[in-house]
Amino acid sequence: MSDGGDFVDLLRRDGYRFPGEGVVASGSRGDLPFHPTEGTTILAIRYRDGVLIAGDRRATAGNMVLYDRADKVINLDAYSVMAISGSPAVAFEIARVLEHSFQYYRRRQLQEMSLNAKLRRLSLLIKDNIPMAIQGIGAVIPIFATFDRKDACGKIYFYDALGAQFETTDFTTTGSGSPGIRGVMYYQDRWGDHKFADMARDEAVGMAMRLLDTAGEYDSATGRYERVADIFPTVKIITASGLEDIETETLRALHAEYVDGGPGA
Amino acid sequence: MMLSDEPYRWAEGVANRRDYIEDQIRAGSPVVGVGYEDGILLLTLSRSQQKLFEVYDRIGLGAVGHSADIEKLRQAAIDMAHSIGFNYSEEDVTLRQIVYFGLGPAIKAGFDDVVRSPFLARVMLAELDGEASAHTFYIVDYDGAFFRYEDFCTLGGIPDADHLMEQRLDVDDVTKLSLTDALSKALQAWAIGRWVGKLEEIPSEDSDLDALAVDVDLNDILKRELQDLGVEAVVLQRSLSGKPKYRLLTDDELAPVLDSFKK
Repeated sequence: MSDGGDFVDLLRRDGYRFPGEGVVASGSRGDLPFHPTEGTTILAIRYRDGVLIAGDRRATAGNMVLYDRADKVINLDAYSVMAISGSPAVAFEIARVLEHSFQYYRRRQLQEMSLNAKLRRLSLLIKDNIPMAIQGIGAVIPIFATFDRKDACGKIYFYDALGAQFETTDFTTTGSGSPGIRGVMYYQDRWGDHKFADMARDEAVGMAMRLLDTAGEYDSATGRYERVADIFPTVKIITASGLEDIETETLRALHAEYVDGGPGA
Repeated sequence: MMLSDEPYRWAEGVANRRDYIEDQIRAGSPVVGVGYEDGILLLTLSRSQQKLFEVYDRIGLGAVGHSADIEKLRQAAIDMAHSIGFNYSEEDVTLRQIVYFGLGPAIKAGFDDVVRSPFLARVMLAELDGEASAHTFYIVDYDGAFFRYEDFCTLGGIPDADHLMEQRLDVDDVTKLSLTDALSKALQAWAIGRWVGKLEEIPSEDSDLDALAVDVDLNDILKRELQDLGVEAVVLQRSLSGKPKYRLLTDDELAPVLDSFKK
Protein backbone atom coordinates (compact mmCIF):
# COMPACT_ATOMS: atom_id res chain seq x y z
CA MET A 1 0.00 0.00 0.00
CA SER A 2 1.27 3.45 -0.89
CA ASP A 3 1.47 5.89 1.97
CA GLY A 4 3.17 8.72 0.15
CA GLY A 5 0.12 10.65 -0.95
CA ASP A 6 1.20 10.09 -4.54
CA PHE A 7 -1.82 10.56 -6.77
CA VAL A 8 -0.13 8.97 -9.79
CA ASP A 9 0.40 5.78 -7.75
CA LEU A 10 -3.29 5.79 -6.93
CA LEU A 11 -4.17 6.19 -10.61
CA ARG A 12 -1.90 3.35 -11.66
CA ARG A 13 -3.45 1.05 -9.06
CA ASP A 14 -6.77 1.84 -10.72
CA GLY A 15 -5.34 0.79 -14.07
CA TYR A 16 -4.76 4.27 -15.52
CA ARG A 17 -2.21 4.67 -18.33
CA PHE A 18 -0.76 7.93 -19.60
CA PRO A 19 -1.18 8.82 -23.29
CA GLY A 20 2.48 8.11 -24.09
CA GLU A 21 2.80 4.90 -22.11
CA GLY A 22 3.63 1.93 -24.28
CA VAL A 23 4.49 4.20 -27.22
CA VAL A 24 7.84 3.16 -28.67
CA ALA A 25 9.83 6.12 -29.90
CA SER A 26 10.45 5.48 -33.58
CA GLY A 27 9.92 7.23 -36.87
CA SER A 28 9.33 10.95 -37.11
CA ARG A 29 6.42 13.26 -37.66
CA GLY A 30 7.22 13.33 -41.36
CA ASP A 31 5.59 9.89 -41.57
CA LEU A 32 2.41 11.04 -39.84
CA PRO A 33 -0.82 10.64 -41.78
CA PHE A 34 -2.41 13.53 -39.82
CA HIS A 35 -1.58 16.91 -38.31
CA PRO A 36 -1.55 16.93 -34.52
CA THR A 37 -3.36 19.79 -32.78
CA GLU A 38 -0.91 22.39 -31.48
CA GLY A 39 0.27 25.98 -31.80
CA THR A 40 0.28 28.72 -29.21
CA THR A 41 1.92 31.67 -27.63
CA ILE A 42 2.07 31.77 -23.85
CA LEU A 43 4.04 34.16 -21.72
CA ALA A 44 4.68 34.97 -18.10
CA ILE A 45 6.15 38.09 -16.53
CA ARG A 46 7.01 39.13 -13.01
CA TYR A 47 5.33 42.45 -12.38
CA ARG A 48 5.08 44.64 -9.30
CA ASP A 49 2.57 42.59 -7.29
CA GLY A 50 3.46 39.04 -8.38
CA VAL A 51 3.30 37.16 -11.64
CA LEU A 52 1.14 37.56 -14.71
CA ILE A 53 0.58 34.68 -17.07
CA ALA A 54 -1.23 34.89 -20.40
CA GLY A 55 -1.98 32.87 -23.50
CA ASP A 56 -3.75 33.23 -26.82
CA ARG A 57 -6.86 31.15 -27.48
CA ARG A 58 -6.15 29.45 -30.82
CA ALA A 59 -5.62 25.74 -31.38
CA THR A 60 -4.47 24.63 -34.83
CA ALA A 61 -3.91 21.39 -36.72
CA GLY A 62 -1.55 22.00 -39.60
CA ASN A 63 -2.94 24.98 -41.52
CA MET A 64 -6.37 24.62 -40.01
CA VAL A 65 -7.70 26.69 -37.14
CA LEU A 66 -9.38 24.09 -34.99
CA TYR A 67 -10.62 26.13 -32.08
CA ASP A 68 -10.66 29.77 -31.04
CA ARG A 69 -11.59 29.42 -27.38
CA ALA A 70 -8.83 27.19 -26.03
CA ASP A 71 -7.79 28.01 -22.48
CA LYS A 72 -4.09 27.38 -22.28
CA VAL A 73 -3.57 28.78 -18.81
CA ILE A 74 -4.87 26.21 -16.34
CA ASN A 75 -5.38 26.68 -12.61
CA LEU A 76 -3.62 24.04 -10.53
CA ASP A 77 -4.41 25.36 -7.05
CA ALA A 78 -5.12 28.65 -5.30
CA TYR A 79 -1.56 29.90 -5.96
CA SER A 80 -0.30 28.19 -9.08
CA VAL A 81 -1.06 27.81 -12.76
CA MET A 82 0.38 25.99 -15.71
CA ALA A 83 0.34 27.50 -19.18
CA ILE A 84 0.68 25.03 -22.01
CA SER A 85 2.14 25.07 -25.45
CA GLY A 86 2.43 22.03 -27.65
CA SER A 87 0.00 19.16 -27.80
CA PRO A 88 -3.16 20.04 -25.87
CA ALA A 89 -4.21 16.39 -25.51
CA VAL A 90 -1.18 15.58 -23.39
CA ALA A 91 -0.94 19.00 -21.77
CA PHE A 92 -4.50 19.03 -20.44
CA GLU A 93 -3.98 15.53 -19.12
CA ILE A 94 -0.81 16.61 -17.33
CA ALA A 95 -2.62 19.63 -15.88
CA ARG A 96 -5.47 17.45 -14.63
CA VAL A 97 -3.09 14.97 -13.04
CA LEU A 98 -1.16 17.80 -11.38
CA GLU A 99 -4.25 19.57 -10.08
CA HIS A 100 -5.43 16.36 -8.47
CA SER A 101 -1.93 15.49 -7.26
CA PHE A 102 -1.56 18.76 -5.35
CA GLN A 103 -4.99 18.51 -3.74
CA TYR A 104 -4.64 14.80 -3.02
CA TYR A 105 -1.29 15.27 -1.36
CA ARG A 106 -2.52 18.20 0.72
CA ARG A 107 -5.59 16.32 1.93
CA ARG A 108 -4.00 12.94 2.45
CA GLN A 109 -0.68 14.00 3.95
CA LEU A 110 -2.25 16.88 5.91
CA GLN A 111 0.28 19.38 4.60
CA GLU A 112 0.72 21.54 1.51
CA MET A 113 3.02 20.12 -1.15
CA SER A 114 6.22 22.19 -1.19
CA LEU A 115 7.03 24.31 -4.23
CA ASN A 116 10.05 22.12 -5.01
CA ALA A 117 7.89 19.01 -4.94
CA LYS A 118 5.31 20.61 -7.23
CA LEU A 119 8.04 21.46 -9.74
CA ARG A 120 9.38 17.93 -9.49
CA ARG A 121 5.94 16.41 -10.12
CA LEU A 122 5.54 18.46 -13.29
CA SER A 123 9.02 17.54 -14.43
CA LEU A 124 8.33 13.83 -13.91
CA LEU A 125 5.13 13.98 -15.94
CA ILE A 126 6.97 15.65 -18.82
CA LYS A 127 9.68 12.98 -18.63
CA ASP A 128 7.01 10.27 -18.79
CA ASN A 129 5.91 11.88 -22.02
CA ILE A 130 9.31 11.71 -23.74
CA PRO A 131 8.30 8.89 -26.16
CA MET A 132 5.40 11.02 -27.41
CA ALA A 133 7.64 14.07 -27.69
CA ILE A 134 10.19 12.13 -29.76
CA GLN A 135 7.42 10.83 -32.02
CA GLY A 136 6.72 14.47 -32.75
CA ILE A 137 3.06 14.32 -31.86
CA GLY A 138 2.81 14.95 -28.15
CA ALA A 139 5.49 17.34 -26.98
CA VAL A 140 4.42 19.64 -24.15
CA ILE A 141 6.41 22.71 -23.18
CA PRO A 142 4.72 24.32 -20.19
CA ILE A 143 5.32 27.40 -18.08
CA PHE A 144 4.63 26.99 -14.38
CA ALA A 145 3.90 30.15 -12.40
CA THR A 146 3.20 30.51 -8.73
CA PHE A 147 3.34 32.91 -5.83
CA ASP A 148 5.79 31.58 -3.26
CA ARG A 149 4.30 32.55 0.09
CA LYS A 150 7.50 31.62 1.90
CA ASP A 151 9.63 34.06 -0.10
CA ALA A 152 6.67 36.42 -0.66
CA CYS A 153 7.30 36.77 -4.40
CA GLY A 154 6.03 35.48 -7.71
CA LYS A 155 8.08 32.76 -9.42
CA ILE A 156 8.17 31.55 -13.01
CA TYR A 157 9.57 28.27 -14.29
CA PHE A 158 9.75 26.94 -17.81
CA TYR A 159 10.59 23.52 -19.14
CA ASP A 160 11.94 21.90 -22.25
CA ALA A 161 10.23 18.95 -23.93
CA LEU A 162 12.35 16.47 -21.96
CA GLY A 163 11.42 17.83 -18.55
CA ALA A 164 14.41 20.02 -17.71
CA GLN A 165 13.30 22.88 -15.48
CA PHE A 166 14.54 26.48 -15.50
CA GLU A 167 13.60 29.39 -13.32
CA THR A 168 13.41 32.80 -14.91
CA THR A 169 13.81 35.97 -12.89
CA ASP A 170 11.92 38.37 -15.15
CA PHE A 171 9.91 36.89 -18.03
CA THR A 172 9.56 33.97 -20.40
CA THR A 173 7.55 32.95 -23.44
CA THR A 174 7.11 29.65 -25.27
CA GLY A 175 5.10 28.27 -28.17
CA SER A 176 5.19 28.75 -31.91
CA GLY A 177 4.62 32.51 -31.63
CA SER A 178 7.28 33.07 -29.00
CA PRO A 179 10.25 33.75 -31.33
CA GLY A 180 8.35 36.78 -32.61
CA ILE A 181 8.15 38.42 -29.17
CA ARG A 182 11.14 37.16 -27.22
CA GLY A 183 13.27 40.04 -28.43
CA VAL A 184 10.45 42.51 -27.87
CA MET A 185 10.19 41.39 -24.24
CA TYR A 186 13.93 41.78 -23.73
CA TYR A 187 13.87 45.22 -25.33
CA GLN A 188 10.89 46.35 -23.26
CA ASP A 189 12.39 45.11 -20.02
CA ARG A 190 15.78 46.67 -20.72
CA TRP A 191 14.94 49.96 -22.42
CA GLY A 192 11.19 50.43 -22.18
CA ASP A 193 9.55 53.16 -20.08
CA HIS A 194 9.03 50.66 -17.28
CA LYS A 195 10.69 47.39 -16.49
CA PHE A 196 8.19 44.55 -16.08
CA ALA A 197 9.07 44.38 -12.39
CA ASP A 198 7.94 47.99 -11.90
CA MET A 199 4.65 47.73 -13.80
CA ALA A 200 1.32 47.99 -12.00
CA ARG A 201 -1.33 45.41 -12.83
CA ASP A 202 -3.10 47.30 -15.63
CA GLU A 203 0.08 48.17 -17.45
CA ALA A 204 1.31 44.57 -17.17
CA VAL A 205 -1.99 43.23 -18.53
CA GLY A 206 -1.96 45.78 -21.36
CA MET A 207 1.63 44.85 -22.17
CA ALA A 208 0.79 41.11 -22.20
CA MET A 209 -2.02 41.73 -24.71
CA ARG A 210 0.31 43.84 -26.91
CA LEU A 211 2.83 41.02 -26.88
CA LEU A 212 0.26 38.36 -27.79
CA ASP A 213 -1.03 40.56 -30.58
CA THR A 214 2.51 40.94 -31.86
CA ALA A 215 3.02 37.18 -31.73
CA GLY A 216 -0.20 36.73 -33.72
CA GLU A 217 1.07 39.15 -36.36
CA TYR A 218 3.97 36.81 -37.19
CA ASP A 219 2.63 33.37 -36.27
CA SER A 220 -0.46 31.96 -37.96
CA ALA A 221 -0.89 29.45 -35.14
CA THR A 222 -1.37 32.22 -32.56
CA GLY A 223 -4.79 33.82 -32.28
CA ARG A 224 -5.39 37.56 -31.76
CA TYR A 225 -8.43 39.31 -30.34
CA GLU A 226 -11.32 37.67 -32.20
CA ARG A 227 -13.62 40.54 -33.19
CA VAL A 228 -16.53 38.56 -34.57
CA ALA A 229 -16.95 36.32 -31.54
CA ASP A 230 -15.46 38.85 -29.07
CA ILE A 231 -12.80 36.51 -27.66
CA PHE A 232 -9.90 37.94 -25.65
CA PRO A 233 -6.70 36.16 -24.63
CA THR A 234 -6.55 34.45 -21.23
CA VAL A 235 -4.78 36.59 -18.63
CA LYS A 236 -4.32 35.63 -14.98
CA ILE A 237 -2.36 37.15 -12.12
CA ILE A 238 -1.06 35.52 -8.96
CA THR A 239 -0.31 37.73 -5.97
CA ALA A 240 -0.02 37.32 -2.21
CA SER A 241 -3.81 37.08 -2.08
CA GLY A 242 -3.92 34.23 -4.59
CA LEU A 243 -4.84 33.49 -8.16
CA GLU A 244 -7.14 35.85 -10.05
CA ASP A 245 -8.60 35.71 -13.55
CA ILE A 246 -8.66 39.07 -15.30
CA GLU A 247 -12.31 39.55 -16.26
CA THR A 248 -13.42 40.14 -19.84
CA GLU A 249 -14.59 43.69 -19.15
CA THR A 250 -11.18 44.64 -17.74
CA LEU A 251 -9.48 43.01 -20.72
CA ARG A 252 -11.78 44.91 -23.08
CA ALA A 253 -10.91 48.26 -21.53
CA LEU A 254 -7.17 47.55 -21.43
CA HIS A 255 -7.22 46.15 -24.97
CA ALA A 256 -8.80 49.39 -26.16
CA GLU A 257 -6.21 51.43 -24.28
CA TYR A 258 -3.02 49.46 -24.95
CA VAL A 259 -3.58 47.47 -28.17
CA ASP A 260 -6.04 49.56 -30.21
CA GLY A 261 -4.88 52.83 -28.72
CA GLY A 262 -1.47 53.42 -27.26
CA PRO A 263 1.34 55.58 -28.60
CA GLY A 264 1.20 56.04 -32.34
CA ALA A 265 -2.37 54.67 -32.70
CA MET B 1 -12.53 -21.73 15.06
CA MET B 2 -15.73 -23.17 13.72
CA LEU B 3 -17.96 -20.26 14.57
CA SER B 4 -20.16 -20.70 11.52
CA ASP B 5 -21.26 -24.08 12.85
CA GLU B 6 -22.41 -22.58 16.07
CA PRO B 7 -25.01 -19.88 15.50
CA TYR B 8 -25.40 -19.15 19.17
CA ARG B 9 -21.73 -18.57 19.73
CA TRP B 10 -21.65 -16.47 16.59
CA ALA B 11 -24.43 -14.19 17.84
CA GLU B 12 -22.76 -13.96 21.20
CA GLY B 13 -19.49 -13.13 19.50
CA VAL B 14 -21.12 -10.23 17.64
CA ALA B 15 -22.70 -8.92 20.85
CA ASN B 16 -19.37 -9.12 22.63
CA ARG B 17 -17.78 -7.26 19.78
CA ARG B 18 -20.32 -4.45 20.12
CA ASP B 19 -19.68 -4.20 23.84
CA TYR B 20 -15.95 -4.20 23.27
CA ILE B 21 -16.08 -1.44 20.65
CA GLU B 22 -18.49 0.75 22.60
CA ASP B 23 -16.37 0.36 25.67
CA GLN B 24 -13.27 1.40 23.75
CA ILE B 25 -14.67 4.53 22.15
CA ARG B 26 -17.47 5.73 24.46
CA ALA B 27 -15.32 8.38 26.12
CA GLY B 28 -14.15 9.82 22.81
CA SER B 29 -14.70 13.50 22.14
CA PRO B 30 -18.00 13.94 20.23
CA VAL B 31 -18.28 15.61 16.84
CA VAL B 32 -21.02 18.07 15.92
CA GLY B 33 -22.08 19.11 12.43
CA VAL B 34 -24.53 21.91 11.75
CA GLY B 35 -25.55 23.91 8.71
CA TYR B 36 -25.34 27.70 8.88
CA GLU B 37 -26.05 30.60 6.54
CA ASP B 38 -22.85 30.15 4.50
CA GLY B 39 -22.39 26.38 4.60
CA ILE B 40 -21.63 23.73 7.19
CA LEU B 41 -19.78 23.89 10.49
CA LEU B 42 -18.00 20.85 11.97
CA LEU B 43 -16.78 21.10 15.54
CA THR B 44 -15.05 19.01 18.18
CA LEU B 45 -12.68 19.47 21.10
CA SER B 46 -9.40 17.70 21.51
CA ARG B 47 -6.13 17.86 23.36
CA SER B 48 -4.04 18.52 20.31
CA GLN B 49 -4.47 15.88 17.63
CA GLN B 50 -6.44 16.72 14.51
CA LYS B 51 -9.89 15.13 14.44
CA LEU B 52 -11.57 16.91 11.51
CA PHE B 53 -10.43 16.35 7.96
CA GLU B 54 -10.94 17.50 4.39
CA VAL B 55 -11.96 14.68 2.05
CA TYR B 56 -12.76 16.56 -1.14
CA ASP B 57 -13.80 20.01 -2.39
CA ARG B 58 -17.15 20.01 -0.57
CA ILE B 59 -16.78 17.02 1.77
CA GLY B 60 -15.44 16.94 5.32
CA LEU B 61 -15.02 14.16 7.88
CA GLY B 62 -14.93 13.89 11.65
CA ALA B 63 -14.74 10.78 13.78
CA VAL B 64 -14.72 9.34 17.26
CA GLY B 65 -12.50 6.40 17.99
CA HIS B 66 -9.02 5.02 17.62
CA SER B 67 -6.85 7.47 15.72
CA ALA B 68 -5.11 4.81 13.59
CA ASP B 69 -8.45 3.31 12.52
CA ILE B 70 -9.83 6.76 11.73
CA GLU B 71 -6.72 7.39 9.69
CA LYS B 72 -7.29 4.25 7.57
CA LEU B 73 -10.91 5.23 6.90
CA ARG B 74 -9.99 8.82 6.15
CA GLN B 75 -7.38 7.72 3.60
CA ALA B 76 -9.83 5.30 1.99
CA ALA B 77 -12.40 8.08 1.61
CA ILE B 78 -9.83 10.47 0.14
CA ASP B 79 -8.51 7.84 -2.30
CA MET B 80 -12.00 7.04 -3.51
CA ALA B 81 -13.01 10.69 -3.89
CA HIS B 82 -9.90 11.63 -5.89
CA SER B 83 -10.13 8.56 -8.09
CA ILE B 84 -13.70 9.41 -9.02
CA GLY B 85 -12.91 13.12 -9.32
CA PHE B 86 -10.12 12.48 -11.80
CA ASN B 87 -11.58 9.62 -13.83
CA TYR B 88 -15.07 11.14 -14.03
CA SER B 89 -15.39 14.72 -12.77
CA GLU B 90 -15.49 16.75 -9.58
CA GLU B 91 -19.30 16.78 -9.77
CA ASP B 92 -19.40 13.00 -9.69
CA VAL B 93 -17.77 12.89 -6.27
CA THR B 94 -20.76 12.55 -3.97
CA LEU B 95 -20.95 11.66 -0.33
CA ARG B 96 -23.46 8.94 -1.11
CA GLN B 97 -20.92 7.08 -3.25
CA ILE B 98 -18.22 7.35 -0.60
CA VAL B 99 -20.55 6.04 2.11
CA TYR B 100 -22.51 3.40 0.19
CA PHE B 101 -19.67 1.89 -1.81
CA GLY B 102 -16.64 2.87 0.26
CA LEU B 103 -16.77 3.33 4.00
CA GLY B 104 -19.97 1.40 4.80
CA PRO B 105 -18.90 -1.94 3.29
CA ALA B 106 -15.28 -1.51 4.47
CA ILE B 107 -16.29 -1.01 8.10
CA LYS B 108 -18.87 -3.78 7.90
CA ALA B 109 -16.24 -6.20 6.57
CA GLY B 110 -13.96 -5.27 9.45
CA PHE B 111 -16.75 -5.74 11.95
CA ASP B 112 -17.70 -9.18 10.57
CA ASP B 113 -14.18 -10.52 10.53
CA VAL B 114 -14.26 -11.89 14.08
CA VAL B 115 -10.66 -13.07 14.11
CA ARG B 116 -9.36 -9.55 13.52
CA SER B 117 -9.72 -6.30 15.36
CA PRO B 118 -12.67 -4.24 14.09
CA PHE B 119 -12.48 -0.56 13.22
CA LEU B 120 -12.79 1.25 16.53
CA ALA B 121 -14.44 4.27 15.01
CA ARG B 122 -17.69 6.03 14.34
CA VAL B 123 -17.48 8.42 11.42
CA MET B 124 -19.43 11.53 10.47
CA LEU B 125 -19.23 12.95 6.96
CA ALA B 126 -20.64 16.24 5.74
CA GLU B 127 -21.35 17.39 2.20
CA LEU B 128 -22.04 20.98 1.19
CA ASP B 129 -24.57 21.63 -1.58
CA GLY B 130 -25.06 18.03 -2.62
CA GLU B 131 -27.69 16.91 -5.08
CA ALA B 132 -30.52 16.40 -2.60
CA SER B 133 -29.75 18.94 0.09
CA ALA B 134 -27.53 21.90 0.92
CA HIS B 135 -26.37 20.32 4.20
CA THR B 136 -26.09 16.55 3.98
CA PHE B 137 -24.57 14.39 6.70
CA TYR B 138 -23.94 10.68 7.06
CA ILE B 139 -22.95 8.72 10.10
CA VAL B 140 -21.19 5.44 9.43
CA ASP B 141 -21.35 3.46 12.64
CA TYR B 142 -18.72 1.02 13.93
CA ASP B 143 -20.67 -1.92 12.44
CA GLY B 144 -20.85 -0.36 8.97
CA ALA B 145 -24.49 0.73 9.22
CA PHE B 146 -24.97 4.22 7.82
CA PHE B 147 -27.63 6.88 8.31
CA ARG B 148 -28.36 10.06 6.43
CA TYR B 149 -29.20 13.38 8.08
CA GLU B 150 -30.00 16.84 6.86
CA ASP B 151 -29.22 20.26 8.37
CA PHE B 152 -27.45 18.95 11.46
CA CYS B 153 -25.87 15.80 12.80
CA THR B 154 -24.31 14.62 16.02
CA LEU B 155 -21.82 11.89 16.77
CA GLY B 156 -20.97 10.78 20.28
CA GLY B 157 -18.70 8.01 21.48
CA ILE B 158 -21.73 5.72 21.73
CA PRO B 159 -25.04 5.85 19.84
CA ASP B 160 -26.93 6.76 23.06
CA ALA B 161 -25.23 10.14 23.06
CA ASP B 162 -26.32 11.07 19.54
CA HIS B 163 -29.97 11.86 20.16
CA LEU B 164 -29.36 13.88 23.34
CA MET B 165 -26.87 15.99 21.43
CA GLU B 166 -29.34 16.33 18.59
CA GLN B 167 -31.97 17.73 20.98
CA ARG B 168 -29.60 20.53 22.02
CA LEU B 169 -28.94 21.36 18.40
CA ASP B 170 -32.51 21.58 17.23
CA VAL B 171 -32.61 24.55 14.85
CA ASP B 172 -35.66 25.50 12.79
CA ASP B 173 -33.90 26.98 9.82
CA VAL B 174 -30.15 26.50 9.60
CA THR B 175 -29.95 28.73 6.53
CA LYS B 176 -30.58 31.69 8.83
CA LEU B 177 -28.08 30.63 11.49
CA SER B 178 -25.00 32.86 11.81
CA LEU B 179 -21.59 31.25 12.27
CA THR B 180 -21.39 32.57 15.83
CA ASP B 181 -24.76 31.07 16.76
CA ALA B 182 -23.86 27.81 15.04
CA LEU B 183 -20.63 27.63 17.06
CA SER B 184 -22.42 28.28 20.29
CA LYS B 185 -25.12 25.66 19.57
CA ALA B 186 -22.50 23.13 18.50
CA LEU B 187 -20.51 23.63 21.71
CA GLN B 188 -23.59 22.96 23.84
CA ALA B 189 -24.38 19.81 21.87
CA TRP B 190 -20.78 18.71 22.26
CA ALA B 191 -20.98 19.24 26.02
CA ILE B 192 -24.01 17.00 26.52
CA GLY B 193 -22.38 14.33 24.35
CA ARG B 194 -19.30 14.59 26.51
CA TRP B 195 -21.40 14.21 29.61
CA VAL B 196 -22.98 10.97 28.31
CA GLY B 197 -19.58 9.61 27.36
CA LYS B 198 -18.31 10.10 30.89
CA LEU B 199 -21.29 8.52 32.68
CA GLU B 200 -20.31 5.54 34.80
CA GLU B 201 -23.35 3.63 33.63
CA ILE B 202 -25.76 4.39 30.78
CA PRO B 203 -29.45 3.83 31.68
CA SER B 204 -30.92 1.19 29.37
CA GLU B 205 -34.03 3.29 28.63
CA ASP B 206 -33.69 6.47 26.56
CA SER B 207 -36.26 8.21 28.72
CA ASP B 208 -34.21 7.58 31.85
CA LEU B 209 -31.17 9.06 30.17
CA ASP B 210 -33.20 12.09 29.07
CA ALA B 211 -34.43 12.63 32.62
CA LEU B 212 -30.90 12.41 33.93
CA ALA B 213 -29.71 14.94 31.34
CA VAL B 214 -32.20 17.66 32.24
CA ASP B 215 -30.21 19.07 35.13
CA VAL B 216 -26.81 19.00 33.49
CA ASP B 217 -25.02 22.36 33.51
CA LEU B 218 -23.54 22.54 30.04
CA ASN B 219 -21.71 25.81 30.62
CA ASP B 220 -19.98 24.29 33.59
CA ILE B 221 -18.89 21.25 31.54
CA LEU B 222 -17.53 23.51 28.81
CA LYS B 223 -15.76 25.72 31.27
CA ARG B 224 -13.99 22.73 32.80
CA GLU B 225 -13.19 20.99 29.50
CA LEU B 226 -11.87 24.13 27.85
CA GLN B 227 -9.12 24.26 30.45
CA ASP B 228 -7.56 21.10 29.00
CA LEU B 229 -8.96 20.87 25.50
CA GLY B 230 -8.87 23.09 22.45
CA VAL B 231 -11.72 23.69 20.02
CA GLU B 232 -11.22 22.42 16.49
CA ALA B 233 -13.76 23.86 14.09
CA VAL B 234 -13.86 23.79 10.29
CA VAL B 235 -16.34 25.07 7.76
CA LEU B 236 -17.38 24.00 4.31
CA GLN B 237 -17.89 27.58 3.26
CA ARG B 238 -20.00 28.28 0.18
CA SER B 239 -18.60 31.79 -0.35
CA LEU B 240 -14.97 30.63 -0.36
CA SER B 241 -13.51 31.30 -3.83
CA GLY B 242 -12.07 28.38 -5.78
CA LYS B 243 -13.18 24.77 -5.84
CA PRO B 244 -12.14 23.57 -2.35
CA LYS B 245 -14.63 24.93 0.19
CA TYR B 246 -13.06 23.44 3.33
CA ARG B 247 -11.37 25.81 5.78
CA LEU B 248 -10.16 25.69 9.38
CA LEU B 249 -11.63 28.45 11.53
CA THR B 250 -9.02 30.73 13.08
CA ASP B 251 -8.56 31.47 16.77
CA ASP B 252 -9.85 34.99 16.13
CA GLU B 253 -13.09 33.61 14.75
CA LEU B 254 -13.54 31.26 17.72
CA ALA B 255 -12.53 33.70 20.44
CA PRO B 256 -15.80 35.65 20.85
CA VAL B 257 -17.77 32.43 21.38
CA LEU B 258 -15.21 30.73 23.60
CA ASP B 259 -14.66 33.74 25.81
CA SER B 260 -18.25 33.57 27.00
CA PHE B 261 -17.64 30.06 28.35
CA LYS B 262 -14.30 30.80 29.92
CA LYS B 263 -15.61 33.42 32.31
